[in-house]
Amino acid sequence: MKYFFDKNGPLVSTYFIIAIIFWLVFLIIIPQLYMLDLSFRPNLPPLLRGGPDDVHTLIHYKHFVFGSETNTERFNYVDIGVFFNTILTAIFVTIINLCFCYPIAFYMAKVATPNTSRLLIVSLIIPFWINELLRSFALRILFAGEGVINNILLGTGLIDTGINFIAMDIALYTGLTYAYILLMIFPLYNAIESLDINQLEAAKDLGSSPFRTHWRIVIPHAKAGIASGCTMVFMLTAGALATPVVLSSPNTYWFTQLIYQWFNMNDNWSRGSAYSILLLTISVVFVLLMMRLFKVKIGEIIK
Amino acid sequence: MKSQHVLNFLLGIYIFIFFSYLFGPLIIMSITAFNSAEFPAITPWECFSWRWFSEGKIAYDGQHLAGLSTDWRLHDGLISSLIIGFGVVCLSVPIGLAASIVLTQVHSRLRTLFYSVSIMPVLFPGVIIGISTVVLWDRIATIGGDGLISDLGRNGIFLTILGQTCFISTYCFLIFVARLQRFDQTQEEAALDLGASQTQVFFKILIPYLRPAIASSAVIAFLASFENYNTTVFSILSDQTLTTVIASKVRLGISPAISALALVIILLTLIAAITYEILKRREDKKKKERQDLLLFEETQDSRLKREMKGSFRMPKSIFLVLALIVVGLFGFNQLVKNGLYGSECVKAAEIAKKSKFSDQLKLLQQNVGTVDEKSLKAGELGGTKDYNNIFGDPNLFKNFGGLDNKSPNNSSNLFSID
Repeated sequence: MKYFFDKNGPLVSTYFIIAIIFWLVFLIIIPQLYMLDLSFRPNLPPLLRGGPDDVHTLIHYKHFVFGSETNTERFNYVDIGVFFNTILTAIFVTIINLCFCYPIAFYMAKVATPNTSRLLIVSLIIPFWINELLRSFALRILFAGEGVINNILLGTGLIDTGINFIAMDIALYTGLTYAYILLMIFPLYNAIESLDINQLEAAKDLGSSPFRTHWRIVIPHAKAGIASGCTMVFMLTAGALATPVVLSSPNTYWFTQLIYQWFNMNDNWSRGSAYSILLLTISVVFVLLMMRLFKVKIGEIIK
Repeated sequence: MKSQHVLNFLLGIYIFIFFSYLFGPLIIMSITAFNSAEFPAITPWECFSWRWFSEGKIAYDGQHLAGLSTDWRLHDGLISSLIIGFGVVCLSVPIGLAASIVLTQVHSRLRTLFYSVSIMPVLFPGVIIGISTVVLWDRIATIGGDGLISDLGRNGIFLTILGQTCFISTYCFLIFVARLQRFDQTQEEAALDLGASQTQVFFKILIPYLRPAIASSAVIAFLASFENYNTTVFSILSDQTLTTVIASKVRLGISPAISALALVIILLTLIAAITYEILKRREDKKKKERQDLLLFEETQDSRLKREMKGSFRMPKSIFLVLALIVVGLFGFNQLVKNGLYGSECVKAAEIAKKSKFSDQLKLLQQNVGTVDEKSLKAGELGGTKDYNNIFGDPNLFKNFGGLDNKSPNNSSNLFSID
């Protein structure tokens, strides 16, 4: 500690300590811990808080599994269904994104000339400076019942009646894939770029097919990038709120929308917190899984 | 060799599809901003107009559809977004700076823990950061009683600044860490040996070295704050930012004014990107010229000098710009030719819609006159056979303006988020 003060001088040290404690303790740790605590407490009006009724309880987690007391079914199929639907869709979107982005990232990193690839990077970034809501809105114009795609299909006579893309959730999946595609491309690009091109040529000279080269050389090399991209895309997709708000059909809920509903519509903050904790848990589990699966450190995932 | 050609060709097509997937929706959205119809669409093209950028329109059924310049909600939201963005920059850049410098000084075992905790907020879903900030500060406000703390704890803008700072600081932190990795520690030692105090080293050596990182992290922090929705929607409480206003607009009735707003943002982005690219190229060119000059001086080879002089080339991008201008002129010409531009066209469309509306009304009134008591009791009235299927006509409701979210195709969520 004394060493720290000596090294930075009193003024700067004080600033460092205040800034870091403010951030780590007041902005990161305490809010999360308090939310965790709140999720184990019953939903009470402000006056009763701290009173005899304010005890720890599992009521909100029970509600997630078994539903409300008037529920006749065995489990709370609606909420559990939404939860697993969200996770499965997020995994699906992540895989689609990975397949989509891999060729582009490879092209930018190894095939294109430096000027072309810089141009591509700039043009990739431009759409992502535009608000996520507005991007979803653009897709909504495309996919609406009277939207552009339906009109084109009807006009060319491919279909007779309009397809309801929003009710079929096609719009939602496209929107989610569209929303975070950049976060898949850049880690992949960075990882593939560091690969020595001589390795690729050596593989080719030794008679390896392009597919085999990718499978045995490029993908193992880009492991950290793949892990990082997948984690980011999964996290953001599972925690997305803007895209589902704009694009999801009336009978599909995203888990974040459920949280929102408990929190703002029903004013049940502690249940909202409990559901948030569930979302947080699944996110953490996914990160740990990716770290295990690809044998990378957490520092390599976020760069 | 031939298969290589085929492969490259396929790759080219793939890249083309990929980029049209990225840009197609944005381009179409931009075009809809100029359609004077109430619903953002291309194909039932009414008239070319600027109305969504200026005053919007008042539909004949009395509903007001605001344009960009008259929408006070958007203006209020924009102002609070700017305040929040400024606050977030002021907090998160110093925090990121402090954390990244301390990271280089702590012991290696502590470092891993410190680093993990610092990057955790990026892995948290934004929703959760918003919620945790709100619940904590609500509690603090309750305990703190009346006065400043209570006011702060229930102030949406203050809470949003804190919530966004939580994860935006991590972005800044990562930028600073990347820059600090290339820092030459000997500079610090040299300054200390020459008698500088620790504080002087920080301000005279470290800060100037980190200046580019400070600038870029400030820009990124501001942009991230400006377009954040997930955290803001919880922590803003009763206030509104630009994104929450957009969200409620998108959900409530989708209006071309949002397309107009998007177009403005797209253009600003494009201008920023192009300026950045030009500046960067100019800098690169200067650097290259300087190197060439050095090389020339070293070798005294006249061949290099000649090449340097004749180096003016037409940039390829000029063709793209020319093509865009030609397409734009052609499209505009077509619009004028077909009478799809100008106030007369808008007027004509209004009249057509009004007369259609009054026709439908007349039909309804006629049918009221011919109600047959017997069939009313039998419940045979009111179906499509009486009203010529007008309820099945989607155009009827679409042209009301604003009612479109009632038709099944465009209905939004059951949850109303506003």
